[in-house]
Amino acid sequence: MDRKSQTSDLPVTLISLICIVALSLFLQNQFSLKQSLIFIIGICLGYTLLQAAYGFSGAWRDFIRKRKSRGFRSHIWLIALTSIIFFPLIGQALTDFSPSAALAPVGWSVAIGAFLFGIGMQLGSGCGSGTLYTVGGGHVNMLITLLFFIIGATIGSVHLGWWLSLPNLGKISSIDSFGWMPALILQLIILAGIYFLLTKLEYKKNSEVQRFIQAPSDKPLLNQFVFGPWPLWWAIVSLSLLNLLIMLLAGHAWSITFAFGLWGTKIWSALGGDISGWTYWANGYPANALNNSVLKDTTSLIDFGIITGAVLAAGLAGHFAPDKKISGRLMLVSVIGGLLLGYGARLAFGCNIGGLLAGMATGSLHGWLWLITGFTGAIAGVYLRVWLKLDKPFVPGS
Amino acid sequence: MKKRNRLIMGSAIGLASIAIAIDHTNHQLPEPEENSAYQQALDDDDESPCSMSSPCAMDDSPCSLDLSPCSLDD
Repeated sequence: MDRKSQTSDLPVTLISLICIVALSLFLQNQFSLKQSLIFIIGICLGYTLLQAAYGFSGAWRDFIRKRKSRGFRSHIWLIALTSIIFFPLIGQALTDFSPSAALAPVGWSVAIGAFLFGIGMQLGSGCGSGTLYTVGGGHVNMLITLLFFIIGATIGSVHLGWWLSLPNLGKISSIDSFGWMPALILQLIILAGIYFLLTKLEYKKNSEVQRFIQAPSDKPLLNQFVFGPWPLWWAIVSLSLLNLLIMLLAGHAWSITFAFGLWGTKIWSALGGDISGWTYWANGYPANALNNSVLKDTTSLIDFGIITGAVLAAGLAGHFAPDKKISGRLMLVSVIGGLLLGYGARLAFGCNIGGLLAGMATGSLHGWLWLITGFTGAIAGVYLRVWLKLDKPFVPGS
Repeated sequence: MKKRNRLIMGSAIGLASIAIAIDHTNHQLPEPEENSAYQQALDDDDESPCSMSSPCAMDDSPCSLDLSPCSLDD
C-alpha cells in the first residue's frame, strides 16, 4: 500500500484509545481477565491487519489477474508458521493441554460454502478479516458488506442443517491419522510445493518474481511500528503469535464469522422474529452464546477488537475514513458480496480465518477443501467483477 | 466527502455500541442450578484449561456444528 507520510488523526486516535481502555476494564470487571485479554488480542489483530494491509481477496485477485503472487505466498507462510505452532499443541506433544482442532466434515457443505465465499470476497472486496479491518479503517462501502455479511451468516445458520444432510466424508484429521509430526511434515511439503508453483507461475508470466521480504523502510523502526506501513513478514509473525495466544486463552483457533450469525440472530430475535425453529441455535455453544451477553462470546470479542484496533491504527496512520465516493453499482455489489460471504462462511465452517487458516493449521482436511474451492470461487468472482465493470477486462498476453 | 464518511462511520460504531449495551443488559447470566447435571460436569472439568466458560469446554466451541465455533463436536 502506498502511503504518503500523513499526520495522525488525533480525535480518532484518542476516541479509539478511550474505547479500548474502557471496554477492557469493563470486561475484566463484569466477566474475567480472560475476556479482557481476548479483546486486547483482537485489538492487536486489527492493528496488525491494517498496518500491513493484510488481506486475502486483493492478494488472490492480484494472482488471478496478473500472476503477482507475493500476497498469496504470504498466506502460505502464514499457514505454514501457524501449522508449526498448532500441530504439536493439537497432538498434545508438549503438554496435557488439549485445545480444540477446527474439525468439520469434508463434504458438499464446505465445498459449496467456500466456493460462494470465494465469489463473495471478490464482489464484497474483503474476506472475513479484511472486512472487519477495513470497516475499522472507516471504509463506508465495507460497512455495507459487513451488514450483509451478518445477514448472510444468519441465513446460512438456518440452512446449515439441510446442507449437512448432503453426502460428506465426515471429519478427517491428519494429526489423528498420521500423528502430529508426520502430518506436519506432509503439510509443509505440500505447502512448499504450492509456494514453488506460485513462484514459477509468476515468473512465467512476468519474467520476474516479487521479493517476499522487501528492502527495509528508511523510517525509524519504532516510527514504522506505530504509524505503519508494516512489511508482510511482520504481519505473518504477529498473526501467528496472536493466533497462538487465542488458542491458549480460548482453547480454539482464531475464528471470526460465528459471531456474525450470532449478532444477526440476536438482532432478528430482538426485532420480534421467531427463531424457535432455528435448530443450529438450540444446543451447545451456539445456544449458550445466544442466551448470554455478546460480550461473553470469544469470537465477538475478537471481532470487536479487530475493528477497534483498526480504528486506532487508521487514526495513527492518519487515513481513517478515506475520501471515496460510493456508486450505486458498488453498493449493489457490496450487498451481493456480503450475502455470499456470510452464507458461504457459515456453510464452510468459517471464513478464510476460521475455515481455511484454522482448519489447515489444526490438521483438518476440510481446510484443504476450503482452499481449493474457495480459490475456484475467487476465480469466478474475478471474472464476475469484469462482467460487472468493476475491473478492466483481462488483456491477453499482458 | 471525507467528513460525511467520518459521520457515517461514527454513527455506525455508535449504534453498534448501543446495541451491545442493550444486549448486555438484557442478558444477565443465570444463576447456576445446584446439583444439576451441567453443574456437575463443569465441576468435574475444573482442572482443564478449557473448562468453565471456554467455548471448547463441555463440548462447546464456536466453530463446530452443534457445539463448537470451529469444529464439529469436540
